[in-house]
Amino acid sequence: MANTVNAEELHAERPRAKPSGSRTAAWRQALSVLVIPVLALISALILSAFFILASDVSVLSAYAAFFSNPVHALALSWTVIADSYRALFVGALGDPGQIVAAIQLYITTGQTQPLILAFYPFTESLVTSTPYIFAGLAVAVGFKCNLFNIGAEGQIFIGAIVAAFVGYSFTGLPWIVHMPLTFIAGAAGGAIWGGIPGWLKAKTGAHEVINTMMMNYVAFRLADYLLNGPMKRGGPTGFIPISRDIEPSAYFPQFFPAPIRLHMGFIVALLVAAAVYWFLWKTTLGFEIRTVGANARAAQYAGVSVTRNYIVAMALSGALAAMAGAGEVMGVNHNLANAFSPGYGFDSIALALLGGSHPVGVVLAALLFGTLRNGATKMQSLAGIPIDIISVVQAFVIMFVAAPAIIRWIYRLRSEGGVQVVFTRGWGG
Amino acid sequence: MAPLLELDSITKQFPGVLANDHISLTLEHGEIHALLGENGAGKTTLMNILYGLYHPDEGKILVRGKEVRISSPDQAIHLGIGMVHQHFMLIPPFTVTENVMLGEEKLKNGVFLDRAAVAERIRAISEQYGLQVDPELRIRDLSVGAQQRVEIVKILYRQADILILDEPTAVLTPEEVEDLFRIIRGLVKRGVSIIFISHKLKEVMAIADRITVLRGGRVVGTTRPAETNSAALARMMVGREVILTVDKKPAEPGDVVLDVENLQVLNDRKQVAVDGVSFQVRAGEILGIAGVQGNGQTELVEALTGLRGITGGRTRILGKETTKATPRQILETGVAHVPEDRQRDGLVLSFPVADNLVLNTYYLPPIATGIVMHRGPILAEAEELVERFDIRTPSVEVPAANLSGGNQQKVIVAREFSRPIKLLIASQPTRGLDVGSIEYIHRQLVERRDNGCAVLLVSPELDEIMSLSDRIAVMYRGKIMDILPAEKATREQVGLLMAGVSA
Amino acid sequence: MRTRVLTIATLLALFALVAVVACAPAPTPAPTSAPPTKAAVSALKVALVTDIGGIDDKSFNTTAWKGVQDAQAKLGIQAKYLQSKQQTDYDKNIQEFVQEGYPMIVTVGFLLGPATAKGALANPKVNFAIVDYTYPDCAPGAKVGVDCGSDKPIPNVRGLAFQTDQAAFLAGYLAAGMSKSGKVGTFGGLQIPTVTIFMQGFQAGVQYYDTQHKANVQVLGWDTKANKGLFTSTFTDPDKGRTSAQSLIDEGADVILPVAGLTGNGAFTAAKSAGNVYAIGVDTDQCVSVPDACSVLLTSVQKNMDVAVFDTIKSVQDGTFKGGVNYVGTLANNGVGLAPFHDLDSKIPADLKKELDSVKADLISGKVTTGVAALK
Repeated sequence: MANTVNAEELHAERPRAKPSGSRTAAWRQALSVLVIPVLALISALILSAFFILASDVSVLSAYAAFFSNPVHALALSWTVIADSYRALFVGALGDPGQIVAAIQLYITTGQTQPLILAFYPFTESLVTSTPYIFAGLAVAVGFKCNLFNIGAEGQIFIGAIVAAFVGYSFTGLPWIVHMPLTFIAGAAGGAIWGGIPGWLKAKTGAHEVINTMMMNYVAFRLADYLLNGPMKRGGPTGFIPISRDIEPSAYFPQFFPAPIRLHMGFIVALLVAAAVYWFLWKTTLGFEIRTVGANARAAQYAGVSVTRNYIVAMALSGALAAMAGAGEVMGVNHNLANAFSPGYGFDSIALALLGGSHPVGVVLAALLFGTLRNGATKMQSLAGIPIDIISVVQAFVIMFVAAPAIIRWIYRLRSEGGVQVVFTRGWGG
Repeated sequence: MAPLLELDSITKQFPGVLANDHISLTLEHGEIHALLGENGAGKTTLMNILYGLYHPDEGKILVRGKEVRISSPDQAIHLGIGMVHQHFMLIPPFTVTENVMLGEEKLKNGVFLDRAAVAERIRAISEQYGLQVDPELRIRDLSVGAQQRVEIVKILYRQADILILDEPTAVLTPEEVEDLFRIIRGLVKRGVSIIFISHKLKEVMAIADRITVLRGGRVVGTTRPAETNSAALARMMVGREVILTVDKKPAEPGDVVLDVENLQVLNDRKQVAVDGVSFQVRAGEILGIAGVQGNGQTELVEALTGLRGITGGRTRILGKETTKATPRQILETGVAHVPEDRQRDGLVLSFPVADNLVLNTYYLPPIATGIVMHRGPILAEAEELVERFDIRTPSVEVPAANLSGGNQQKVIVAREFSRPIKLLIASQPTRGLDVGSIEYIHRQLVERRDNGCAVLLVSPELDEIMSLSDRIAVMYRGKIMDILPAEKATREQVGLLMAGVSA
Repeated sequence: MRTRVLTIATLLALFALVAVVACAPAPTPAPTSAPPTKAAVSALKVALVTDIGGIDDKSFNTTAWKGVQDAQAKLGIQAKYLQSKQQTDYDKNIQEFVQEGYPMIVTVGFLLGPATAKGALANPKVNFAIVDYTYPDCAPGAKVGVDCGSDKPIPNVRGLAFQTDQAAFLAGYLAAGMSKSGKVGTFGGLQIPTVTIFMQGFQAGVQYYDTQHKANVQVLGWDTKANKGLFTSTFTDPDKGRTSAQSLIDEGADVILPVAGLTGNGAFTAAKSAGNVYAIGVDTDQCVSVPDACSVLLTSVQKNMDVAVFDTIKSVQDGTFKGGVNYVGTLANNGVGLAPFHDLDSKIPADLKKELDSVKADLISGKVTTGVAALK
């Protein structure tokens, strides 16, 4: 079917493209898909490098003296950037040399401690990714129903509050009961919290963006109140706004000896992602949600209750977000404190977009976020780079992936772009 | 003298589709050249090449005898080529002036937009060509016809003298079509040359100087209205003999299926849109509802199918009260609905064809057991419907958006007609379709009737109503003016009723 | 959709690739890039973990870090800090420094209380100091590890506590002496002990002034007896501080003590725009940290965390570090105190200054008490 390689390449991304039978075409398609993200990440890292330099006092002073010693300034810049990114990698995935050495040591002597330490950074990345997976799924499910759930952060708080409460107030339960109960209770709390804006939208048409945002404030202040009052550790005489620790029977078990904190929540997150995929694409309820999201009028025409699906989708979204909060309480913190979320719920909006609102995409995007975020600690510790730089890297990656035109322009990639699609939609031939 | 515009052997390949296959065509000075072809024949692709949106794989374009390479609409405009798209490229909250100057802003003192000067020129152009465009009005306050004239002004403002009109009548009322034709003739008199893209035989016969027919990406032939007739053109377009008149047996009406009593419905602005309407549709007959668009037909159909609340009166289907029923309850009584706007209401364009084919049966066995859907039966059902209803699609897994308009309509027809139905409500079922598809849909409607289905046909196209209906109801300002037996109704009579004049 | 998945898979893979390449020049061992300018290999290494306020909070994180920096300058130690962005970072950052082999880790703030106890108990060879927190931290009947970090002193942790009520008492006395309206106000960030101790001392100081002078100056925004007061729920939102201060001013207060970190700075703005209203800074000498506010700042209730941190680091270097015993900053050891009066020095009557000196002496001697229990 392809007459020239050129034409094939040019149109590889057209939505109209038929799945090609030939293997080379498939490869070429795969490659063309890879180009943009590869360049996006490279560009993001390059751009962020400038921020890293700007944040380093010694570099700035070297540049102040640039004309007297330009070589020093440039060499120092290179060192700083190389050190930073090396630290980012080591912090996120571990030091390859250390890992190899630890494995050798384990084989020869059976020592496990070096092994644990070598794999600690990698497992920490998974720990950090876990709440991102849940929260990303939450926002993605909302998107699938054409709902913009800005309230994930508040729902995360509710999930954490409920999980903490159930976690410490039920004592003497066997873990097989207590752990699932805690998790499900947290999720149910989020379902209600998310369902309220859904219900308001269904019944009154109130926009979910506004209501989820407002529900955030209610959740934050509720947490403040509870942590300074009824849930404060040590009761009324206690003096710090942290809840009691939950019972060990409500813990998500951690798989490895300390300091590795990888816990069952990560596995649960993957299972939930699979379940969300199944739900959205293999069940009638998911079909309805997607139909409403893609074309509410057509859904109504087909006999699907649009309003009911708004409620269902928001409740589900809230439940998923709440799982992030419950997971953090049950797996890592074992108590509730106000500072437990650095804004997972807000990051997850970008994350869901990056993941194309698809569970697989969300999981991969969450792993990317978790990895970057975890590596940032090492970058701060080894290279003295402010931890916030990593938000800049994340932002650039998302911007570039969301706006491939920039990347095409920077790297002079040929493309006829998506304009055609817009212009040629319609009934004409 | 060289032709104003010459396309020489233009070829354009999309993956899986040869959209244009060595197409050659010329446009002379002051000519109206119609490009006729079914949906998917390659008309729009060709024009997008001419307008710089696509690059041809082969072939050349000559403007005023000189070979040119057009790589953007901007360049096209500079070469004097302007295009009015089917879907207007206007910004609703902006005024006519602002829309016209957009992209070519005129500045006063180098800083301020010189709206007054632009408005003045728009008035002049409007005057000269009889376009009746008021530069101060906002686009959103204009009728569709007026919006189209603004698009034309935009092009004339940029001093283009080659005007491409892509399916310009698809969105217009019969009256507006007449206006447009008058304007087109005026433009030609003043030296503008026009490429008129259409799939409607009558229009092409009425307006064109020359007609080039495309089929499957190739030129089938070029002719003049005087040298041909509708039947011959239809044959060229479709590639086979086309029956332009509907052949049907006399109706054999049975029991009442749809019973509407004193129905009152409000529109979105809470005004009464359907005002005390009563009628019945019996099994085995087609009741046509004629009327100029916007006289309450849309609201009527939405009310009957449960999509819009009923504020007065009642509806019954097969004797069952359905006044307050949900869309699903109505569907389940055996009602099929071909909606007026297929892309907005009838399809989920981003979903695969297969999913669209089960859009209202997705929850029933064998497609679903409990809440679990089974892909196998969905695909099997879809394959069967694609086969049976001759839906042209590369596969049932491609998004419905990728299908041509006619095939999208076939997806809806296939879905609605394949269920065991007692009542068929078809709203403008052939809107925007080509000859071949119209013929097909008409045959399907009559076949349903003959199988004992009650059919309610709503259409603003008088010809369609006249040729298909057994009885004709005419709607005007939310009321039914009269219901006539088809064999006794004349065009004039119905036309008068549509204008609100009682016989 | 598949393309999107591929996209992200590539991002992940690429990230690994880039980092491996970056790693190439020096694969093992993990390089500790110490600041090249700083001292010998054998220098003491000190680490600081902030709470989520971050190193730039101009409050206790900044002050604690200043103590570390002072030690860096004067004692030649090596130092590094990690900012915490979220709760899970506390354990992680402590763990990071333990792994990097730091013998001395300073943590800041009560939020790190549980994490510090855990880290210290798991790493008995590492010395810890925690600012604004002490062990044992268990209330009677509380469950160790659930309600609190430890019911006994932890042998390798030194808690750094501050008898801030003493300095606040002086501030209250001063405020009462300066008030013309007979009303002074205060508000806090959160109702937690390290905040309310200021307010308790402040109120006690005002009341002491009243009894000494037979005056009737009232305190708005806090009542020790009822254990209730005005709180903003945030330490980082100056605008909230401004509106809280404004409401106190509207009720007639003409001296304001905001105990709310950055939020409190909003009170200075409110005082300035009101005119005739004074404010009192907290934690550090805020006329230095917020020079804009000098025109309304009577003084600041200083909590010399930098001094405490510095002393602790010095004791580690000297080998005299004693864990399990808390440092308590008082007026006597200069751990707390009033800042200079700066711009407003001339506005304060000499008599009042004299009285303040004698009250301070009485507080140190124990002749006067603030009513707040002594910290241990």
